[in-house]
Amino acid sequence: MAKQQLVYLYCVADREPELKETEGLADNLYFVCNNGFYAVAGKVEEEEFGQEGLKRNMADFEWVKAKASVHERIIELVMADTDVIPFKFGTLFNTNDSLKAMLDQYGEEFKAILRKLAHKQEWGLKIYCNPEKLKTSFSNDEAEILKIENEIKFSSVGKSYFLKKKKDELIEKTLNERINECGQESFELLKELSFEAHINRLLPREVTEREDEMVLNSAFLVDRDEVGDFHNMVDTLKMHYEGKGFLIDCTGPWPPYNFCGLSREKV
Amino acid sequence: MIVPAHGRHIISAVFQEKRYKMNNAVAKSKDVTLLEILDRVLDKGVVIAGDMVISVADVDLIYLGLKVLLSSVETMEKLRGSPFISPMQEAK
Repeated sequence: MAKQQLVYLYCVADREPELKETEGLADNLYFVCNNGFYAVAGKVEEEEFGQEGLKRNMADFEWVKAKASVHERIIELVMADTDVIPFKFGTLFNTNDSLKAMLDQYGEEFKAILRKLAHKQEWGLKIYCNPEKLKTSFSNDEAEILKIENEIKFSSVGKSYFLKKKKDELIEKTLNERINECGQESFELLKELSFEAHINRLLPREVTEREDEMVLNSAFLVDRDEVGDFHNMVDTLKMHYEGKGFLIDCTGPWPPYNFCGLSREKV
Repeated sequence: MIVPAHGRHIISAVFQEKRYKMNNAVAKSKDVTLLEILDRVLDKGVVIAGDMVISVADVDLIYLGLKVLLSSVETMEKLRGSPFISPMQEAK
């Protein structure tokens, strides 16, 4: 019996995509054209990507790693020639006809999204913080902290105990203030240079596998003409914040994953 | 360029320091981490609903696979105080 196959959708473009370079990344890659759109898809095995198989495989980190990377690479290659609407990992159809029907059904939405995305790029900005380094960076120039430190030197054992506690609280408070300040300022300044911007949820250390804590996870849709200014601002932020316990990580251009939500509220 | 008031001290800092020359090669660095890919591919991108779609991957499964519960994100935010709120913050 022939194995059941499914149609895996990577992205939708409004121009005929060049699929030569994608050879070797995935088997049976092709595009389906309907309603003025080109959907880049591939045939996958039902056993692997069907309801049951997908559920099983999503618990297998190695599998997810490999397949998610392929998903990303294919969209990036298509993106080199044309604007794309990237789909979420694991968007599957039973047949090409059902994919075509979807292109009909969502035609207006896709048109609107592609209009918005034209001549723009998605860039990502994540900021990480090393709390100890940050504490060191401000402990020597915060007047209030220095004042308490000075008082501790001339206090009795009992009084200095409370003063130390007060100092620790003040350090924690300042730490949070500095983290919020860095995140907010970075986001707002880059937002000014962007067409649209989003703040995403922070990823815990278990996921980032970094010692430092993520304090900002954001994405920006930037006009190609503004990308230079955008990067100048990122460099400015790096100059200002790196060395003070922050690490600013800017990546891109990405497929505009963050800016083509069908149901996302328009900002 | 319009700069929000709270960001001005950064701007003034630029002028105090040597003007930084931008590196023209802003191409994506080759070693973009897997994290960056997973953070987008599994969590973002267009999601469509309807009869023709037989299944859409549930992003939380991967986090469960890494033994991370969503609550740990909340705990972290609590630990570092109230997270800043931006009008652009996504409504969850």
